[in-house]
Amino acid sequence: MVGSIKDKVAIIGTGVTKFGEIWEKDQEDLLVEAVYEAINEANVDLKRDVEAIWVGTQYHFTGMSGAIFSDSLKVFGKPITRVENFCASGMDAVRNAAYAVASGMYDIVIACGVEKILDYGGRGLPLAGGELHPVMGWSSAPAMFALVANRAFKVWGWTKEDLARVSVKNHYNGARHPKAHFRREITIETALRAPMIAYPLGLYDCCAMSDGAAAVVLTRPEIAKKYVGDNYAVIKALGMAVETLGPWYRPSESFLSFPANVKAAEAAYKEAGIEDPRKELDFGIVHDCFTITELINYQDMKLCKPGEAASLIREGVTAIDGDFPINPDGGLKCFGHPIGATGCRMTVELTRQVLGRAEGLQVKNAEVGFAHNLGGAYTVATVLIVGRR
Amino acid sequence: MVDILAYGAYIPLWRISRDEIARGAGVPSAGGEKAVASWDEDSLSMAVEAGVDCLGEQLNPKEIDALYFASTTSPFKEKHASSIIASALDLRRDVVTIDFAGTTKAGTTALKAAADAVKAGSAKKVLVVAGECMVLTPSTDFEQVCGDAAAAILVGKEDGIAEISDFVSTIEPIPGPWRRSTDTLPQRFESKLDLRYGFIKSTVNTMQSLLKKYNLSIKDFSKLVFNAPDPRGYLEVMRSIGADVKQLQDPLFTNVGITGAAHSLLLLVAALENAKADEKILCAGYGDGCDAFYVETKKKVEELKGTRRATTVYVKSKRMLATYEEYLDFRKLRERAQPEYPRASVVKYWRDEKMVLPFYGMKCKSCGSITYPIGRCCVVCGAKDNYEEVKIARRGKVYTFTFDYLCGPGSAVGEYAALNPAIRVVADMEDGCRLFLELTDCKPTPEEVYIDMPIELTFRLMNERTNFRFYSWRGRPVRS
Repeated sequence: MVGSIKDKVAIIGTGVTKFGEIWEKDQEDLLVEAVYEAINEANVDLKRDVEAIWVGTQYHFTGMSGAIFSDSLKVFGKPITRVENFCASGMDAVRNAAYAVASGMYDIVIACGVEKILDYGGRGLPLAGGELHPVMGWSSAPAMFALVANRAFKVWGWTKEDLARVSVKNHYNGARHPKAHFRREITIETALRAPMIAYPLGLYDCCAMSDGAAAVVLTRPEIAKKYVGDNYAVIKALGMAVETLGPWYRPSESFLSFPANVKAAEAAYKEAGIEDPRKELDFGIVHDCFTITELINYQDMKLCKPGEAASLIREGVTAIDGDFPINPDGGLKCFGHPIGATGCRMTVELTRQVLGRAEGLQVKNAEVGFAHNLGGAYTVATVLIVGRR
Repeated sequence: MVDILAYGAYIPLWRISRDEIARGAGVPSAGGEKAVASWDEDSLSMAVEAGVDCLGEQLNPKEIDALYFASTTSPFKEKHASSIIASALDLRRDVVTIDFAGTTKAGTTALKAAADAVKAGSAKKVLVVAGECMVLTPSTDFEQVCGDAAAAILVGKEDGIAEISDFVSTIEPIPGPWRRSTDTLPQRFESKLDLRYGFIKSTVNTMQSLLKKYNLSIKDFSKLVFNAPDPRGYLEVMRSIGADVKQLQDPLFTNVGITGAAHSLLLLVAALENAKADEKILCAGYGDGCDAFYVETKKKVEELKGTRRATTVYVKSKRMLATYEEYLDFRKLRERAQPEYPRASVVKYWRDEKMVLPFYGMKCKSCGSITYPIGRCCVVCGAKDNYEEVKIARRGKVYTFTFDYLCGPGSAVGEYAALNPAIRVVADMEDGCRLFLELTDCKPTPEEVYIDMPIELTFRLMNERTNFRFYSWRGRPVRS
């Protein structure tokens, strides 16, 4: 690798809407709300200062092309790119924006994401239309991850209770976050009693269908001071890997680990110079679209050895008061997962945590942490490490 | 000389007891049970299964010159089922395909046409498949009498298991049930006339013409094989023609039902399964007339025994539907949440025909991996354009699984999926190929579906997206 993003990009503004079933607002409302919160925090003027924009959306009914941003904010004539990389669309927008700033091409840019899923109606995420083959295997999102849960149950002896513990932990955290979709604690019994969605994943093993938007303003550290003084965080690393949308057709696929995760994490840790993430990082935000995903992510992010993730959740290591808090905000479990917005929301949460101003539970002494965004059939993984300046 | 070279059959896994039909429909029970095609089966898909059984692992589908399909219930009014069946069975492209339709005699008529083609020298081997999957008016006699099944017979010029005689054929245009092109359910006027002046008279007269032609007596036959509209009809014909009831090939009424255009061929297969060398079997097929012929078995008939599942295995391999309502849902005979499907491209299906009908994958010449689907570059090693197309192994075992209550079989969404979860499995096939399959013929419970469970491929209707009928292969528990 020739370059490194480490310490070259500053996050000076963050904005995030309330996530949930936001029937009364559309994508324009949500995007305006998140972007204005971010630019106000960054003390930048949208028309005067912001030079380029990356906006993440997955679904065509949320918005296609850069016009989803220009038409929402009524800011015309700037370079705007729509980013689609499945559920990792949001963080990939951040990633592209970060490289643009680091390259010196632009000084101030916005990365944002939005999704308006509830408007589409129906149960579960809308299936993609055109790309679906009429007869070749496809499945709902929970089923993709349930394949992994059943394998992990068989090989490592994990149980539905272990999955429920992830849900209980995240609901505890989410109950204390004002922007979360679900703000109620649950018990293991509640999770175990829930209707089946994709065996063995029940309702409480799955993140909700939600709407929302989030945005960040990026610049270079030397410029950041001018706008926000010392009130900014810096990107320490960005790792990304794309594997396959058909993991079930690949003979090597173990269904016990997501190869995209492993490669994205390795790249990010290498860039940040991290050898032992459990010791050198303070907390993490992982893509818990399903409870099983959170556990597999612990392992792929090298927080423990393969098979040991269930022990981490049983022993409370990843609870808010544990040795290595994971998803202090309540995660996708409580925020839901407006696809294009999630990676940006994670970036906002990560930044606010390291700056000591989390809206929900604040991780103690959080100086540097990671956020991990996963998309597709474990197809796309992005890992972002952010620290205090 | 035209010989039968091999046979095969297919009887769907599911059965319903006629007592349960009687309970649900509020009518008297005829006793016994009948075979019911699964919700994802039809006459076309079952004919493929019978063809797979007939060809076995030994016979080369590329040597077949024609495929004839017989059914009164082809899923298409316009489109040849036989063409799809030929592709699914991996026949050559330059074969003749014909759909024989419109009456229950279609099965034997297709066999006659096949024998004629071989005799005339226009084809060396012809595969005849007959399948029937009937949608019947609830609470009628038909509903209890008729069952679903398929049969396959391969005929050719070489020395086989039985020699086929010439045929005698007659017409009888008025009696019997009908469906106008606008009807979905069968109509009839007077079943007593249909039986007496249609079925019995026509079958007996045509059989007698055959006996006369070959100067044979009814006593010369070990078995009589024919299709009757109901069980009573069998005994009437046996009596009228002067045969002993012991000569009657078990009509499979008590455990399968009468299977329309497939029935005579299904019973002929059953007779051949149990025959020794040098037996004569008298056969007839009735429907708007009658075909009569006989076969004389040869030594090889005993060699083929046990190499095909045919009726021996498929009659025994069964599972009962618990309720009449389940049966109605299989045939979409009651109002219920129906599957909603996203649009799908027939263009893709056309382009990928070899991957989805005969089910080929790729074998990489660089790393040796067998993978699915076929792509320019190997998914294992990335080698570009360096592969051969290979047929994927038909058996394997489950690597992992789930029951998908959000996305039902064939990507059905909506409330239907919550009622009918797709059983999705990642499977390791015997050749090392990884597949992502939907399982059918089993229930979504961890007792029935589990890691390392043995499975085999089965040809099914996958969905009806975009108002097309998309067929391909699902997995099922191994039937034995």
